[in-house]
Amino acid sequence: MADIYLWPVAMDFKYSDVRAMKNGSLDAVLFSGGVRNSENEEIAKLLREKAKVMIALGACAQGGGVPGLANMYTREEIMRRVYIESESTENKDGIVPLEHSTAGPGYDLELPRLYNVVKTLSQVVDVDYTIPGCPPASMQIYSALGLIWDDMLPKKGAVIGAGDRALCEECPRKKSEKTITHIYRTHEKLPDAETCFLEQGFICLGPATRSGCGSRCIKSWTPCRGCYGPLDDVADQGIKMLSALASVIEPKEEAAINAVLDSVVDPLRTFHRFSLASSMLRRRRE
Amino acid sequence: MKRIAIDPITRLEGHGKIMIFLNDEGSVDNAFLQIPELRGFEKFVEGLPVEEIPRVVTRICGV
Repeated sequence: MADIYLWPVAMDFKYSDVRAMKNGSLDAVLFSGGVRNSENEEIAKLLREKAKVMIALGACAQGGGVPGLANMYTREEIMRRVYIESESTENKDGIVPLEHSTAGPGYDLELPRLYNVVKTLSQVVDVDYTIPGCPPASMQIYSALGLIWDDMLPKKGAVIGAGDRALCEECPRKKSEKTITHIYRTHEKLPDAETCFLEQGFICLGPATRSGCGSRCIKSWTPCRGCYGPLDDVADQGIKMLSALASVIEPKEEAAINAVLDSVVDPLRTFHRFSLASSMLRRRRE
Repeated sequence: MKRIAIDPITRLEGHGKIMIFLNDEGSVDNAFLQIPELRGFEKFVEGLPVEEIPRVVTRICGV
């Protein structure tokens, strides 16, 4: 049996209630989401203080996730697009959210400060464990919770609720010696039902991605984009994938390899779809 | 002016905060719904290959 104290999507409990708790009084915190603004950081630090065990839950907390792709742009570029330039917006006066604003005398309002960069949870607080995935498979969350209940947590820093091999090892598609001579987009060629996507020339991040998702996308005829994050001891999932891809391109000549890699339409958002915020690239240089 | 903060709004996916201002009689004078988060999907999907859009925007979640 466990009591749930804070789960905003499911039950009512306020930040002020958490602040009133003693430090270390929560056995475990599962923190989802990256750190995008000052409120996210404040809550992450608050929950870290209250938690015996801090767990990063999901691809956003682990590597920034899809919202981490915002690191390709500056805060100002994002604000301008969202609040002023988007086709569905009418904002002639160019009003954008401010940290401190007033809606009239006495009505002072505050908003969190939007950071210029999306951070992962571990870039802000000490993280004990990570449950990867976007979304994490529900049975994998259940099995990770079992480790807490049974007092069977592994060494600090481990990824739990996932496999310890590459996704290719659990992928049901047939694999043989890979030789890639051309990269295809999904509208250019119909993949066959049984063969490895990568062997057929479709980018699939299976070789650089941790197993444990149940090959959900692949079973839906969709190549992997890496939401389960890198394997242990891999510093950068996207670069690992680039390296895996370059090693199977034929012929093995620099010019040929470069030509094939050039045919990848959007390499940054393909190889770092879920991990840009944690990658060596991390963010756009200003 | 007395203020009541409902923070966070719960039982929804996403983030929200309500600020209520009370007058001297203790009645509601004014109230504001604030959305404290922004991710910027509108910007970072620009130029993304169209076949990738469905599996990116589904990560917006909830609401």
